[in-house]
Amino acid sequence: MIGFDAILNSFAAALHYESIAIILGGVLLGYIVGVIPGLNRAVAIAIAIPLTFYMSAYAAIAFLIGLSKGTAAGSAVSAILLNTPGEPSSAATCLDGYPMASSGKPRKALKVGLLASVIGDLLATLLLIAVAIPFASVALKFGPYELAAILIFALVFIAGMAGGSFLKGLAAGGMGVILGTVGLDPETGAMRLTFGYAELMEGVPILPLVIGTLALAEMFVQLDEYRRNKDASVIKLGKNADDDLSYQEFKGTLPTILKSTGVGAFVGALPGLGPSVGAFMAYGLAKRSAKDPDSFGKGNPNGIAAAEASDNAVIPASYIPLFGLGIPGSVSAALLVGAFMIHGIQVGPLMLRDHPEMLFTLFSGMIVASLLMLAVGWYGLRLFARVTSVPPHIVISVVIFLCLAGIQVQGYGTFGLVTVFVFAIFGYFLKKFDYSFVTFLVAFIVTPMLEMNLRQSVILSGGEFSILLERPIALAFVVFTVLMVLHLGWTSYRRWMQARYKAKQV
Amino acid sequence: MIRKNFWSGLGVAALAVILLTWIIPTYGGSGFAFGMQPQRLATLGAWLILGCSIVLTVVSAIALKRRGESIVAIPDLGHLWHQAWPFLYVLGFIVLIDRFPLTWVAPLLIGGLLLLLGERRWYVVVLTAAVPTAGLYGLTAHLMRIGVV
Amino acid sequence: MKMKLLGTAVLSAAMAVGVAGQVQADDFPTKPLTLVVGWGAGGSTDIQARVLANVLEEELGQPVNVVNQPGAGGGVALARLANSTDEGYTFVFGTSMTITFGPLSTETTYDLDDFRYVAGVTLGQSAIVTGENRPFGDSWEDLVAYAQENPGTSYANQTALDRMIIEYIAQREGLDLRIVPTSGGAGMAPLILSGDVDFAYSGGTHSGYAETGEMPVLLSLAEDRLVAYPDAPTLQEAGYDINAAEIRVAMVPKDTPDAHVERLAEALKAATEDERFIEVTEERILMPVTWMPEEEVTQTLRDQVEGYKALLEELGGLPEDEE
Repeated sequence: MIGFDAILNSFAAALHYESIAIILGGVLLGYIVGVIPGLNRAVAIAIAIPLTFYMSAYAAIAFLIGLSKGTAAGSAVSAILLNTPGEPSSAATCLDGYPMASSGKPRKALKVGLLASVIGDLLATLLLIAVAIPFASVALKFGPYELAAILIFALVFIAGMAGGSFLKGLAAGGMGVILGTVGLDPETGAMRLTFGYAELMEGVPILPLVIGTLALAEMFVQLDEYRRNKDASVIKLGKNADDDLSYQEFKGTLPTILKSTGVGAFVGALPGLGPSVGAFMAYGLAKRSAKDPDSFGKGNPNGIAAAEASDNAVIPASYIPLFGLGIPGSVSAALLVGAFMIHGIQVGPLMLRDHPEMLFTLFSGMIVASLLMLAVGWYGLRLFARVTSVPPHIVISVVIFLCLAGIQVQGYGTFGLVTVFVFAIFGYFLKKFDYSFVTFLVAFIVTPMLEMNLRQSVILSGGEFSILLERPIALAFVVFTVLMVLHLGWTSYRRWMQARYKAKQV
Repeated sequence: MIRKNFWSGLGVAALAVILLTWIIPTYGGSGFAFGMQPQRLATLGAWLILGCSIVLTVVSAIALKRRGESIVAIPDLGHLWHQAWPFLYVLGFIVLIDRFPLTWVAPLLIGGLLLLLGERRWYVVVLTAAVPTAGLYGLTAHLMRIGVV
Repeated sequence: MKMKLLGTAVLSAAMAVGVAGQVQADDFPTKPLTLVVGWGAGGSTDIQARVLANVLEEELGQPVNVVNQPGAGGGVALARLANSTDEGYTFVFGTSMTITFGPLSTETTYDLDDFRYVAGVTLGQSAIVTGENRPFGDSWEDLVAYAQENPGTSYANQTALDRMIIEYIAQREGLDLRIVPTSGGAGMAPLILSGDVDFAYSGGTHSGYAETGEMPVLLSLAEDRLVAYPDAPTLQEAGYDINAAEIRVAMVPKDTPDAHVERLAEALKAATEDERFIEVTEERILMPVTWMPEEEVTQTLRDQVEGYKALLEELGGLPEDEE
């Protein structure tokens, strides 16, 4: 067992001014890259890797931890202020963040988001340290059957909560499913809907798709609105007395934050699901359990809190299978593997035995990074909240440029630019005709994972459904899903009947 | 909104029919698979779209009829152009970026759009065009070391 | 040590800037080079490429920029390289499988003859692995015997190449396998560790479990036995005449001038003797550094392609014939 001294020492190391400076550097770099629409974690990694060659193992890892937290929190800023999430996982943050910011409360929205993300992150980190590693093998109980069942559940759950027209949401989801199947068929190796483009072999690249449908399309929508309102008075987002977060309001979001952290930690601990699924599931849960579900999507602080807390809780939780079993459960976990690799440490169950000091330094570094993130974000939001007072035509021009630059910088080339453009048109129509882009995006992200796990289940079981009886967890989720569908059907039927009843009375 | 629903439903249904009858069968991939046919999920998705859009079209057509509104409303051509030109503008610059590095084209892209949007203060135009471009140059040539994009 | 590295890098960068100022007509390289990686930032190929770029920069006296062009298992980068007219200023560092089996398993716009292979610098360590406490233990012979008696033994595949190899083996040994697709080491590891799948292909993930013994190697897919698992036989030793060895190579378009290729090869040769490159490859990524000059590596790749074609024919025709 590791002595208490070792743990104390590791914290002392993390609190040394040098390491604080390095973590701060990582947080700042990540935050800046995250805030700028179009640039994301991949850019930050490309900047950071050459830098980390010259750092000590500890410094490099601390730097990358800071970086990965910084990008996660930074991308929420642009999601809230500009409706353009830097990472797909921040798309859930837009849903309530942008309406709140555009109703004159950007600071409040940013503060809720920041506090939720730091709390989610810290709690999940503590969970990772306290209990998780010995129990990491529990994740192995979630094989292909369980993951397939969970993903189907998530898909139905998110489609059910997305709001707006249910029919249009499902149609958008269908489009997401079709686009999600593009690429090499995992089993037969057949090309699906690639039209001969090698670029499409691994599927529609997610970054151009996200930047196109969310960021660039949003700029076209705002451009349209800007020119419509130019002659009238430009929407002026001046100072709003209500634009701050009171302790009372913060306390109101705490239950949501805690619940969402739980959802995020669960999703993160299972390898392969990732932060987007976590964020949307938490958002759906918050909406479902709220007293006023209709206020979601119109600037409800609980919506921001749910999405951000869960998004950030996924990341530390995804280190559970990484340190417990050696399986990187998310992009940021895979990034850490790379950092450890540069410094000759094999990540996995042996770390606790061979490099306990490293592991605990890492943990303490994560906590320090969380706290630094709070500080950077707190001061940053004062600065960034002003973006809303920059004239919109300047913001729009620059963001359009940034969207294209993000694609060029990340090496997608002409193909990426065309993809972005096509999806900008697609996203524009989704927004104009009020089709749910959430259902579309979630379906697109979930489909490849779902298909893979479904196929694995079918092949491994030899096509027999009775296997479910041996897998109680999977069975439970199948039952949940059926109940969910029945419940959704029943509530929408009742609503429809009520609406008809009302219509008849009028 | 109901008329929009009607037409978008119709359009989406047409898209789904094209997907089902032509694109997915031709380009969906083939081969024997034990787990799942390569085309199955895409086909499922397309049927989902078709089903939803048909219901949407029918429901909104009935609603339109009940209210006695006409199904067709010719959109104003000027309005259409108004919505289309930003797309053409960006498309034009994508063609340019394909030929020349983005770092050269960027000031034109940003400055041009600003002028089109009615910005006339020259220092605002110059600064807004120059600062992001300089940032891009610093990022690609020095920080990421991938050369000028 | 770290400071010294930093110092050298700064110095060489400064020198590079200085040299770039003077124009030397026919002295390759006279401008910055671009090293293209066909995978995303942060993976093992990427990390190795970035160290390689640092070393090459010192050798060539010009900055070497690293650009990621991910997609199609490295295929996107190659498709673009095939159309490059950059005379060796742009080159790809990648794995041999993309160029040998890629064009056979999918439609590609390039094939083996579109490139020159400057040198092979690293040997891959891919393997067929299994988990702990399996009924057949951890030897290949016992697995084959077990699978012959138990139809429905499951295998997790990751690439078209390992799928073809396992189908060939299954045909020869008379096995009825359930072949499960999975993506990457992160997708394979849970299936093996949890026991959901009996055995699997592994690109390099198993190296991380060498000490715990949680992922024993059944067969080495490299030309020699694996460094970390000297007890597991190679494909050839187990009686299958297939050379599936993965080599990490530097490639340029086929019309690159000889002088440029030679200069690049010289620099790469120096890199394979460079302490930093050896360290990151052998101790971090756990793959042996090697030196295969152009002729040797081209011949090996050509032989591999012929071998795969023969194998595919034995399995029922080349993919093109199916349609």
